[in-house]
Amino acid sequence: MALIEIKNLVKKFDDKTVLNGVNLTLNEGQVKVIMGGSGCGKSTLLRCLNLLVEPTSGTIIFRGEEITRPGVDIRGLRQNIGFVFQQFALYRHLTVQENATLGLRKIRKMSAKEATQKALYELERVGMLEHRDKYPAQLSGGQKQRAAIVRALAMDPAVLFLDEPTSSLDPEMSREVVNVINKLYLDNVTMFCVTHDPFLAKYISDSIVFLHEGVVLAEDIAERLFYDHPDPRIREFYLSVLDLK
Amino acid sequence: MTEMNPFLHDLIVYSPQILTGLKNTLVLMGIISVTGFLGGIAVFYWSLSGNKTCRNMTERYISFFIGTPLIVHLFLMYYGLPRFGIHISPLIVSVIGFTLNVSAYNSRYLMTAYNGLDRMELEAARAQGFTAPEVFRLIVLPQVMRLSVPSLTNQVIQNLKDTSVAFLIQYNDFFAQVQEIAATNFEFFKAYVTAGVVYLGLVSVIVLAARSLEKRMMLPGLQS
Repeated sequence: MALIEIKNLVKKFDDKTVLNGVNLTLNEGQVKVIMGGSGCGKSTLLRCLNLLVEPTSGTIIFRGEEITRPGVDIRGLRQNIGFVFQQFALYRHLTVQENATLGLRKIRKMSAKEATQKALYELERVGMLEHRDKYPAQLSGGQKQRAAIVRALAMDPAVLFLDEPTSSLDPEMSREVVNVINKLYLDNVTMFCVTHDPFLAKYISDSIVFLHEGVVLAEDIAERLFYDHPDPRIREFYLSVLDLK
Repeated sequence: MTEMNPFLHDLIVYSPQILTGLKNTLVLMGIISVTGFLGGIAVFYWSLSGNKTCRNMTERYISFFIGTPLIVHLFLMYYGLPRFGIHISPLIVSVIGFTLNVSAYNSRYLMTAYNGLDRMELEAARAQGFTAPEVFRLIVLPQVMRLSVPSLTNQVIQNLKDTSVAFLIQYNDFFAQVQEIAATNFEFFKAYVTAGVVYLGLVSVIVLAARSLEKRMMLPGLQS
């Protein structure tokens, strides 16, 4: 069943068209990775989907409800979309556990005890239990990103958005985060992931969407997209990121 | 028996008035530190408003109160308003004048700290479903308060010293009492040195309290 349907989505910033008629569907339990060159509109697409950025035109349907219509419950929508950012964006004044429980207590209105239980469960799931009392500044990059994933998962979202989750990390820390995301993939967590990392894309995706200048050029599995694709723009991109030149 | 120093003698004789003045100084400082702090938060909140008119008005308010001397506001209210039949007590005039002034300064300190925040945190909070007032209360305010502790406590010290201006609108503060003794025995030098020492002692207490507060509010791994 379709969780998110995107129909002819357009986003313009002044005269610049960043998304130019995107059509996509994400089914429940599915993981789609969005790839493409810098400035192709990948991150803008994710931000449009939870209305952090207002689409210029087009329709987005989330769980059967059109969210691009006026008067939509934005708070309700965002509670159902976990968002993980490239730069972690953890709340610096809170510990890892408090980062995970804040939304549960203030938005989901859980008791402190319930919120803590939920946070501890998610911390255990990504191997961050021992770091629960640390502040973000006391964590490594990989630990910060895992903490950010915990914060998003704790809210029990219908879908997880990952915006370049490994781009700010060195290879070792990146592997740490890829393993966690792969675990979520195996747990059937529905995800939309934007990345430049072909390694991550291959291991966590059901299909990869290739975006170019705000348009979906192709959607396919990694093996067919990465090697000898008939479209020269896609072929050129993967020759470059896979370092096959 | 040796005769007591006349200045010391006057200090003892006038000690009830001096203590009353000291109490009045501390009361005024306490009130304006609290109201100026809360006012500063309110002004800071409005300066982040999505409404352009609100932001512009807040900016003008801050510019006006930072750009004009406090004594002008106090004199306007105390000596100017009676012309329109409005008579306000020196304490109330002082509280209103200082609050408007200190709020403007405090909002600037908070804004400076805000400019150092990671904007992605705020976007993450909105993405999580927090409303704008919740983002302010739960994410912005706890962080800017921590980062502004040194500036805000400096303002409390400034408040203490500035209360001495209130004697010019007949507020019976510590400095007014010292002035009265000096006018009685003409020992101006000794009177003002005594006043300076007392202010220094009070400031030292505030500094110690501020340092302790700074330590307690420090974020592990972030501030050192």
